[in-house]
Amino acid sequence: MDLIAFYARVTRRSALKLAVAAGVLSMTVVPAAAQQVTLNFWDMIWGDKAYPAAAQALVDRYNQENPNVKVEYRSVPWSNWYETYVTAIASGSAPDMSTGGGFQAVQFYDQGAILPVDDVVKQIGNSEFEASTLDAMKYDDHYVGLPWALNVKVVLYRKDILEAAGIKPPTTLEELRQAAKATTGNGKFGIVASGDPSGAHWITHMAIANGGGLFNKDGTAGLTSERTKEGLQFLSDLVKDGSVNPASAGYTNNDALGAFFRGEAAFVLAGATASSQAGDAKSKIGILPPLKGPHGDVQGLYFVNNIMAYKQTQHPQETMAFMKWWSDNALSLWTDGHVNNLPARQSLAKNPYFTNDPDISFVMDNYMTGARTLSQTKGGTFPVLNTIDGDGFLLSLAQAIWQGQPLEAPLDTAQSHLEEVLGN
Amino acid sequence: MALDQVEAGTWRTRARQMATPEFVTPAILLTPSILLLMLVIAYPMVQGFYFSFTNGSLMKAGRLVGIDNYVKLLTSPAFYHSLQFSLVFAFFNVVGCYLLGLGLALLMQKDMPGRAVFRVLLLLPWIVPSLVSIVAWRWMVADDKALFNQIVAVFGGSPIYFLSDSSWAITLVIIIKIWRSFPFMMLSLLAALQSIDRSLYEAAAIDSATKWQSFCNVTVPQIKNISIVLGLLMTVWSVNDFDTPWLLTQGGPANATENLIVLAYRYTFARNDVGMGAATSFVTLFILMVLVFFLLRLQRRN
Repeated sequence: MDLIAFYARVTRRSALKLAVAAGVLSMTVVPAAAQQVTLNFWDMIWGDKAYPAAAQALVDRYNQENPNVKVEYRSVPWSNWYETYVTAIASGSAPDMSTGGGFQAVQFYDQGAILPVDDVVKQIGNSEFEASTLDAMKYDDHYVGLPWALNVKVVLYRKDILEAAGIKPPTTLEELRQAAKATTGNGKFGIVASGDPSGAHWITHMAIANGGGLFNKDGTAGLTSERTKEGLQFLSDLVKDGSVNPASAGYTNNDALGAFFRGEAAFVLAGATASSQAGDAKSKIGILPPLKGPHGDVQGLYFVNNIMAYKQTQHPQETMAFMKWWSDNALSLWTDGHVNNLPARQSLAKNPYFTNDPDISFVMDNYMTGARTLSQTKGGTFPVLNTIDGDGFLLSLAQAIWQGQPLEAPLDTAQSHLEEVLGN
Repeated sequence: MALDQVEAGTWRTRARQMATPEFVTPAILLTPSILLLMLVIAYPMVQGFYFSFTNGSLMKAGRLVGIDNYVKLLTSPAFYHSLQFSLVFAFFNVVGCYLLGLGLALLMQKDMPGRAVFRVLLLLPWIVPSLVSIVAWRWMVADDKALFNQIVAVFGGSPIYFLSDSSWAITLVIIIKIWRSFPFMMLSLLAALQSIDRSLYEAAAIDSATKWQSFCNVTVPQIKNISIVLGLLMTVWSVNDFDTPWLLTQGGPANATENLIVLAYRYTFARNDVGMGAATSFVTLFILMVLVFFLLRLQRRN
């Protein structure tokens, strides 16, 4: 009877009030799991075809260990990667965190799209990284990205071709030239290169190897500086000797590596772990020590690939926490995903997976001291490096050299272009 | 005063005419389409034109810089190099694919065994996605071990490095563009040839005209207008072609095959300079408009 009286007193307005109150109450007592934070993580493909699955498995592990956060993984292919990111940022749909090219973070930071990761670096500790590796991430007194993988450029050689020619692995640039000449003939060439961005790395590598670089110490364009020009002349001389495969200007990196793996060339400039793609030919491939230049320089090119956090994120704290976790637990990306870079974290590099690999140990022991980034000889990092890396004028210079054009005209064109890009 | 009254009267008359259902109904029906077209064509064009006067990037809106981008572009050697290649590329492609298309259309018009099969086969270059066909071409010419050079070697020739030599790269890009374009030309010209009144050929035969004479005096005049339209379309498509040079050579070697569209792409995405990219696109558009204007005038004169 009382119940009937109660229902009789309930008006539509009071029922509505009751519903609103119940809604508010339910929102305040929702369990934490239902308030899960979602992070979008875009990751480049850093290894072979197993990499995306290995990275997804690592993300799954993080999601299991952190029920309050759900990381959604997206594997981004390298083709048109830059467009993928800039259009995402421009349209307001950038990820919370991503891995990316060596200078992506600094350029995006300059455009107001990236959060500094100083706290993550502090939590991990500076001693976990080579000083030059951290320096390559510093811009505007902030670390704009967290170093995680190093792409060290080395000269690979075919042991079988050198043995057949009775030549020891070269240790200087001059010895490389002689060896390339001696191994050219019968449809084989001393050197195979490419006309794509990987081929253009020869330009920077040789400039640095000879004690020069793209820049002068004051940051101005230095392609025509004495040491850089001399380094590039070395490449021209290799072509003049007939030691470079004439198809190089039109080759992609895969074409060049394919020709090298098939034993059609004795030397190739590649990433330190490139021989892992050689299949049965892997045992016939060795890594030359850093080559000494005519002035005694022993240096080479490397890229510091990094992880970055985007300003568009709604969850910066969770993003930074995930970034640190990803960096701490990255080993399986190498063991299962076969990352083709070396680890940037010192503790990770001491793992037996790396120390037991003679090639990786050799590179870590011999190359890291002289490893220099694209910003050599100015140092540090700056936004325009990304433009220089992706612009294509170094690529055109490399193609002109592989074509056997005299160095002066294309070098002057490239220097003018670099001056234009730098605004000086 | 009197003139004003006359003008006002004329406007009133026009307004009265426009108020009829014959005008209002189509106008209402067309309005959504016009608005949609304005949204997808006019808005991006106006915005792009505005960008060409700014110095922004894809991520950050820039400030107005007046005609700086146009001045920079028109004083840049890279622009003239790309313009030259674009015009050479368009000219040889239009001429090449027209001659090939016309020749094959004349052949396909004849009653011969297997004609239907040939027609389908000849359409393949147009049907196959550009990525697939151009990558296949790359494999066939990449180096001395590639199919083409193997054939050359059988005849004792030296290998040709199509993708590494500037002159050969230009030639190859043009050949592949012709190969990709001729089926459209052939199909369109075949349709035009089949629509020619047979009695014209009969009359020419009665006048003892040779095959060449009837081709010159009957066929050519009859397909002249469609040929101008096809030439116009092919010119626009050639100048605007991105797939062929990009997928085959990425504008190389040493910028030899960099056309205006590849240059605009490089400015926008590689150099992150939207202003210069937009300026390049609008200069290309202007050049195309001039070409189209002359071709349309030619068509009207006919």
